[in-house]
Amino acid sequence: MKSRTALAALTLSALALPLATVAPATASGGGGGGHRTSGACSQSSHWRLKAKNDSGRIEVEAEVHGVRVGQGWRWSISHNGSPSASGRATTRGPSRSFSVNRLMINLAGTDHFTLRAVRSATGEVCRGKVSL
Amino acid sequence: MSAFRRPWANPLVQFVLAALILFGLTWWATGLLSERAGKTEAVADARVTTELLGRGVAQPAIPRGMVKGDVGAIDRFARRVGFQLKHIDGDVRRIKIWRADGTILYSDKNRLINRQFDLDAEQRAVLESGATEGTLSDLRRAENKFETEEGGLLEVYTQIRSPEGEPLLFEAYYKVETVQERSRQVLSPFRRITAGALGAVLLIGLPLIGILTLRLTRAARARERLMARAIDASEAERRRIARDLHDGVVQELAGTAFALTGAAREPSVTPAVREDLLASSSALRRSLRQLRSLLVEIHPPGLNAAGLPAALEDLTAQASTTGMETEVSVSGIEGAPDHVVTLVWRVAQEAIRNAVRHAHATHLEVEVEGDERQVRLRVCDNGVGFDPDASSSNGSYGLRGLQSLVHDGGGRVQVESAPGAGTTVRMAVERG
Repeated sequence: MKSRTALAALTLSALALPLATVAPATASGGGGGGHRTSGACSQSSHWRLKAKNDSGRIEVEAEVHGVRVGQGWRWSISHNGSPSASGRATTRGPSRSFSVNRLMINLAGTDHFTLRAVRSATGEVCRGKVSL
Repeated sequence: MSAFRRPWANPLVQFVLAALILFGLTWWATGLLSERAGKTEAVADARVTTELLGRGVAQPAIPRGMVKGDVGAIDRFARRVGFQLKHIDGDVRRIKIWRADGTILYSDKNRLINRQFDLDAEQRAVLESGATEGTLSDLRRAENKFETEEGGLLEVYTQIRSPEGEPLLFEAYYKVETVQERSRQVLSPFRRITAGALGAVLLIGLPLIGILTLRLTRAARARERLMARAIDASEAERRRIARDLHDGVVQELAGTAFALTGAAREPSVTPAVREDLLASSSALRRSLRQLRSLLVEIHPPGLNAAGLPAALEDLTAQASTTGMETEVSVSGIEGAPDHVVTLVWRVAQEAIRNAVRHAHATHLEVEVEGDERQVRLRVCDNGVGFDPDASSSNGSYGLRGLQSLVHDGGGRVQVESAPGAGTTVRMAVERG
């Protein structure tokens, strides 16, 4: 019975580990205006999100750093919970990453942006949030 | 041109003044009309631009869900066209897309997005009819609180539709100054054309009017000379007739009257014949008096400034015989020219004659006063008066003759009268 309990705890721990890595690891006010957040994806990749004011609009920049060049990802960015932009991208270059920039409207109050990127081949998920 | 005593009496001056007034009026009227035309055209341009932006650019780019206020859909619309909408046409100052409930779904002023305001009647009418309307913005409205454009804004609405088929109101704002600038662009060439045409008319007309004025002046001078000669000739003729009558007929009649009186005293004359001779002598004397009165009327002896008071007394003596109380006063006419004195006397004569014949007055006043510039006559009675506007042809003949006499003499006459209120004749003539 003890061994079953230990196995269950180990299994939960194993499941909990990737879930925990999805949460943003760091957040900062950012230099040069805007807010930045970053964190680890569910496997070995990392994400970064940045939101800054741009002439009355908000520019949201999302980056996902993979482990290899040529990894295919589906990504989407929500604005206050509503899907605003989505697409497909492939990691490339020496940084083995892809990035997307999108301009958003700057609503009254705080705007919340959420990144969701899913690696097509492995199902690795990156989730990040940034507010401005 | 010296024939025109007052500058504005000169036709050339009148033409220039009239041309300037016409120029000013035309300038003002063309300005008003072309400003309206310019505004109309500018507003029409703004309507076309709004329809083009709304139906040609914004409507195809509206994603599904935006009509529900979905923020992501609004983002997508903004990225497709919204961020650039205001800059497609440089005159556009603000863009708003309204839902029928008054919610602003999109504006380049982000703070307005998803805020709700009351739509006015015109906006509702455009939403329902699909027409395009333009009006000056009421910047006091809450929806316009971010508008700080000086000189005001023109807002134009048109109807567009969401992909779900819901009617939306597309609204574009334009600077009023842009509209006014457009008016000026329309106005300027039109005004230049108008000013050029009027200037050309003025340039062509001035020499023509100048020549005509010169001719008119010469004709007026000739007329004045002729008039003066006619008056002189008339005076001379009166003088000659008076002298001939006085030296001839009057002397002979006087001698005959004396002779008849002398013959009647002869002892050999029978009483019946004496009576006839005395009656004839008496009749001759009456005729002689009438003839002398006529001579005074034709040409009063010594008619000059110094003799005018006596001559006027002679005139009023006739009125005194009818029981009328008369009063004569003369002042300030020393050195007045004879032709002026003659005119005063003739007008007084006519006025007194009318008073004696028609006024049934008890008081008659004749006043002459002068200064260095002019001589003025006033003949006033307290008689029955008359209505100058309704006077009979016989009565008005005398007045017309009086006016003609004064006008020919270079003076001005005025007759004031009313039934039961007496009559006053005023005359003024320049001393020079």
